[in-house]
Amino acid sequence: MIDQEARYLKSHEWAKKEDDEAFAVGLSSYAIDQLGDIVFMELPKKGDTFEQGAVFGVVESVKAASDLYMPLSGEIVEVNQAAADNPDVLKDDPYEEGWLIKIRASKPAEFDELLDAKEYKHFLETEAE
Amino acid sequence: MKLKRTVLYDCHVECGGRIVDFAGWEMPVQYATGILQEHLATRKGAGLFEVSHMGRFEIRGGGAEAFLRDCLTHDARHLPVGFAHYTLLANERGGAIDDAFLYRFTADTRLLVVNASNAEKDWSHLKELAGAFSEVELKDVSGEVAMIALQGPCSEAMLADLLEEGCLPEPKRNALGQVRIAGAEVKIGRTGYTGEPVCFELFIPAESAGGIWTLLVEKGARPVGLGARDTLRLEASLPLYGHEYGTDPAGEEIPILACPTAKFGVDLSDPDRRFVGREAIEKQTQGIEKMIRPVRVTGKGLARAGAAVFYEGKPAGWLTSGTMVPYWEAEGEGTGRKLTERTGQRAIGLALVDSGPVAGAAVEIEVRGRRVAAEIVKKNLDNRSGPVTFAVL
Repeated sequence: MIDQEARYLKSHEWAKKEDDEAFAVGLSSYAIDQLGDIVFMELPKKGDTFEQGAVFGVVESVKAASDLYMPLSGEIVEVNQAAADNPDVLKDDPYEEGWLIKIRASKPAEFDELLDAKEYKHFLETEAE
Repeated sequence: MKLKRTVLYDCHVECGGRIVDFAGWEMPVQYATGILQEHLATRKGAGLFEVSHMGRFEIRGGGAEAFLRDCLTHDARHLPVGFAHYTLLANERGGAIDDAFLYRFTADTRLLVVNASNAEKDWSHLKELAGAFSEVELKDVSGEVAMIALQGPCSEAMLADLLEEGCLPEPKRNALGQVRIAGAEVKIGRTGYTGEPVCFELFIPAESAGGIWTLLVEKGARPVGLGARDTLRLEASLPLYGHEYGTDPAGEEIPILACPTAKFGVDLSDPDRRFVGREAIEKQTQGIEKMIRPVRVTGKGLARAGAAVFYEGKPAGWLTSGTMVPYWEAEGEGTGRKLTERTGQRAIGLALVDSGPVAGAAVEIEVRGRRVAAEIVKKNLDNRSGPVTFAVL
């Protein structure tokens, strides 16, 4: 399942525009399915800033830990504590309830460089492991 | 290299298995409902595992016992007909080449079951040692005999329902028997790798394995993949070669007796029995610098194999295995204790740590540059009374 509104990194994080500089960020349903049961998440604090491509958190399944990468440079303005406490939310609703962080983008134009839904779908079909 | 498939490959795909490369085999790491549910189903009901990827070597002939006494740490002379025992293949340094189970279904046929990842290495090692003995026939039967495990409190009733002839082995750990199921001669051992007190491993002619797998699924046994096989053994503090045996994260060989489980697989009682590694293992009985201990993470998060462990602020060893495992909450006391419908999760592990700190000692484990609080414990699973096990919280 791919959200048509969202844009994606090849590492499977998505970003959705909520306002000019405000974006929600989460993990695609493909990645969540590949991880298997998610048992722990480490998310950043409000006020932290990251560059595009930087590791902002970690999601852990029974088998492995996977880093989470920033789709856009910016400041963390909100963290989905409910999802961190109950990672099942990600599996149930990866693109709405299962968002991970909200950011204020410092370079909103980076959004346009991300894969759109069609490109991400093509990537999954051809390249993704 | 082309990956190998076990005889039940199609059954795994049909059951929704997610197939991965494990030691050169295409095996299910989990099925549709995932590792946590498979773990829980085994602890409360019955889990069904295919383990045909493991190596199975048959040893026969007049020299078989002498040969096995020479190459295995347990004394094959002390294994009666109708039983199995835990054993190891040691090297001269007292490290593990592999750990294994030796089954003696009949007086003159013994079966050694070894780890898939070590099967080739073990075979070469055994072949080489066998050269010095006359009347030893060593045969790799891994392809002709399939192996499935049925583990958990409901497994006995499910299996009993399917018997056409014969009875289950007597209810003693490691007891063996032979029965007929679905027209096939099936050898059964009360053995396993989950910590379940009610546990069976079935040796089935390859061509009959698919039918028996399906019958057990129909009885309600839950297919379990390699992911939950690992969390189940970890919760029961059972060692895994490559983690608790083999080399430690610093590249040093782990002495066999560092692992408390190994004492069930080492028999030094006959002073005249020479076996590979004996001198080094005897030295280990005088004391070992680091021991394998169960731990539980009391702080936030989980820790994995390779993480550094600190005791009183100083480096004390490493985690050799670790992850988050699920459990059933329990209620009641003593014999009235039972599992509820509620579940939880906890981070646990096994650690190779200085032998000083014992159960109850507070330690710290380094996770992504941060130190997380943890505790050395006696055990993480209470499986002594049976038929049901309880998480030690």
